Amino acid sequence: MHEEIAVAGFGGQGVLFVGRLLAEASLLEGREVVWMPSYGAEKRGGTVWCNVTISDEKIGDLFITRPTAAIAMNPASLVKLEPAMKSGGLLVVNQSLVPSKVSREDIRVVYVPANDLATELGDDSVGNLVTLGALVTGCPVVSTSSIIAVMDNLLPKNQRRLEINKRALSKGCAWTQGN
Amino acid sequence: MSKKTLMAGNIAIAEGAILAGCQAYFGYPITPQNEILEHMSKRMPEEGRVFVQTESELAAINMVYGAAAAGCRAMTSTSSPGFSLEQEGISYMSGAELPGVIVNVMRGGPGLGNIGGAQGDYFQSAKGGGHGDYRVINLAPASVQEMMDLTMLAFELADKYRNPVVVLADGFLGQAMEPVVMREPVTELPSKPWAITGALGRAKNIINSFEMDPVNFPPRVKLLLRKFKKMRRNEVRYEGLNLGDASLVIVAYGSASRSALTAMKMARQEGIPVGLLRPITLFPFPYEALSNLAQRINDFLVAELSSGQFIEDVKLAVGLDKRVALVNQYGGVPLLAEEILEAIEKMIKQPVGG
Amino acid sequence: MTKFSISELDTVLYHRPESLEDYPFHFCPGCGHGIVFRLIAEIVDELNIKERAVCVACVGCSVNSYHYFNFDGLESAHGRAPAVATAIKRCHPHLVPFTYQGDGDLAAIGTAEIVHACARGENITTIFVNNAVYGMTGGQMAPTTLVGMYSTSTPGGRKPSLSGYPIRVCEMLSTLDGTAYVARVSVHNPAAVRKTKQAIKLAFRTQLANLGMSLVEVLSPCPVNWRLEPVKALEWLVKHMLPQYPLGEFKVIEAVAALKKGDRLCTKK
Repeated sequence: MHEEIAVAGFGGQGVLFVGRLLAEASLLEGREVVWMPSYGAEKRGGTVWCNVTISDEKIGDLFITRPTAAIAMNPASLVKLEPAMKSGGLLVVNQSLVPSKVSREDIRVVYVPANDLATELGDDSVGNLVTLGALVTGCPVVSTSSIIAVMDNLLPKNQRRLEINKRALSKGCAWTQGN
Repeated sequence: MSKKTLMAGNIAIAEGAILAGCQAYFGYPITPQNEILEHMSKRMPEEGRVFVQTESELAAINMVYGAAAAGCRAMTSTSSPGFSLEQEGISYMSGAELPGVIVNVMRGGPGLGNIGGAQGDYFQSAKGGGHGDYRVINLAPASVQEMMDLTMLAFELADKYRNPVVVLADGFLGQAMEPVVMREPVTELPSKPWAITGALGRAKNIINSFEMDPVNFPPRVKLLLRKFKKMRRNEVRYEGLNLGDASLVIVAYGSASRSALTAMKMARQEGIPVGLLRPITLFPFPYEALSNLAQRINDFLVAELSSGQFIEDVKLAVGLDKRVALVNQYGGVPLLAEEILEAIEKMIKQPVGG
Repeated sequence: MTKFSISELDTVLYHRPESLEDYPFHFCPGCGHGIVFRLIAEIVDELNIKERAVCVACVGCSVNSYHYFNFDGLESAHGRAPAVATAIKRCHPHLVPFTYQGDGDLAAIGTAEIVHACARGENITTIFVNNAVYGMTGGQMAPTTLVGMYSTSTPGGRKPSLSGYPIRVCEMLSTLDGTAYVARVSVHNPAAVRKTKQAIKLAFRTQLANLGMSLVEVLSPCPVNWRLEPVKALEWLVKHMLPQYPLGEFKVIEAVAALKKGDRLCTKK
């Protein structure tokens, strides 16, 4: 397999963390992986993206240009991601913040009201995990059990945080399954 | 299979230094390598080793000079503008025959440039950079694993030759995370009877690079030149991929070689037999390997993140009768595999002499 | 090293300190550097730290320092001696590194390094020789050149409108919390030389007691670049430099004062 995944949104939306979970889970599954963040002058609320390349072979380019799967957490990232998507790829759109619809017909799209679903769980900051659940259900680049194992490892000290992240992940999975 | 850890390139450099027995780290904040400084600020005291955040890169390199003179494995890390400031100290270190490791996580330039990854310090780094007749081994990692491994090697080579060694990485590699196999820590460090440790039970030691009388200086330089010759003979490192059947060879180092790897695969899928030669040492440069390749290959494509610096050494190696084309980005922008592929296609379509 | 035979003399009153090499000073006639070197060597002997002392030489007239001393020493790039000494002390806390710097080295090109070594409270010692000119390069204006004073780069005398004002290093550095002992002394006559020795010794003892940064500024004549005969140069120093650079202690933290007090008690016994 060879997947190139892009995650983009506002700073503070947990974009880099979603990428990190994808990368760690791929490593756990014994694959080659590159996690590459955008980086700029330190500024809260600016646009942030990261890409994760997952492959069975040694990975070349650190950057991706044609994502096979992607998450657009805010309107600006949808504008960038839609034209870049590889034909047949999966694009997860955070409907809570992105009002517009995707016009391309050669890609699969999952609209998920990530922040609203997160608020229902009692913490609107876990919208990122909702979108991750929606992504890996529509395009199984890693298994949810691997993501859960990574979270158990990364967040052992904050049980409350860990639990709500897990619930957000499964809420996202269920959303894609139900649509 | 050894256990792998997902790690950012900058962290791999810091951990590599600790594994190599780095006893003292000195640094000044500059993007895109701040993670090294921050990581060291926590890890060095944990290990009971020296950490100082300095007032400038000038102070940092001169503290490396002092720690190295005191017989310790010492390192600083910086990015391009800071590396310019450190040239004075690197020249002094080479002149005074002091080992030490300087990490340059390159960014866009000239001037303040920007914080994107770049390779615009090639001339400065691979050719010396400071004043006077000296050379510095340059190790160019192309993966996070190599960020660790080559940092460890840098300490070993610095001590072997009593000369500074540069790890020349770029901002993209510094920020990227990849799986890394942790290496075994170095437990035995070489003895340094020449070091400044106090004249207890021995005659005094002096460390300098100065001779009042000019006639006394050339012999010193000759000693250095002998060392640089040895480096050229023993320390050339490179990686060759798919060279056997190649009709065109991409030459690239660092993160540009990663894009080149993808471009090579894409070209081969199109049926174009492309190979890749990746220098790991920029000084000493793999002139011989390239010149041997040039005996049967006519087309070389140089991929670099600078405006045609690295290509000069490639041309020198393969000779003027070969076609050497350039595909590049500069100023902090990545070079993508697709751009390299386009350049490959363009090159093979153009008839020789056309 | 030549030593007097005891049989020839009843008591040896004056000899070359163990810590000073039998190596000719290359200073000009009437220069003050030689005095300061000898004082440091005497002090290193008296404190019995020859095996731990490290001279960090600077660039300028004292560039050859490590040849004069009979203990470990090294060169540093222009102005960077405090950074080099910092690293040596941090790596080997048992060593006693000191920097020997001129005014151009410390107060111009190396201002950042000395300020931050002081700010960090590095446990090192700096001997700062102020002769108000760049000596080695031929007498150009230094950061300590007096207003109106001739130098080869201030042809009509230093004009503040063009070249600014001289820096008072001790006054400036004593404001930093990391300094433990800061004093200005001079070598213009034997009494002043004795006081210089006391100050430098206290500076080294400050380091030996781990009390923080110690710095002694020594006013010193440079007859050749001042265009004066040696004796006239001493007179000039008294008349012109002392008013601009008053002698005295600018910073003595309590723990250093206690060291001094302990001395006096010992002497009284």
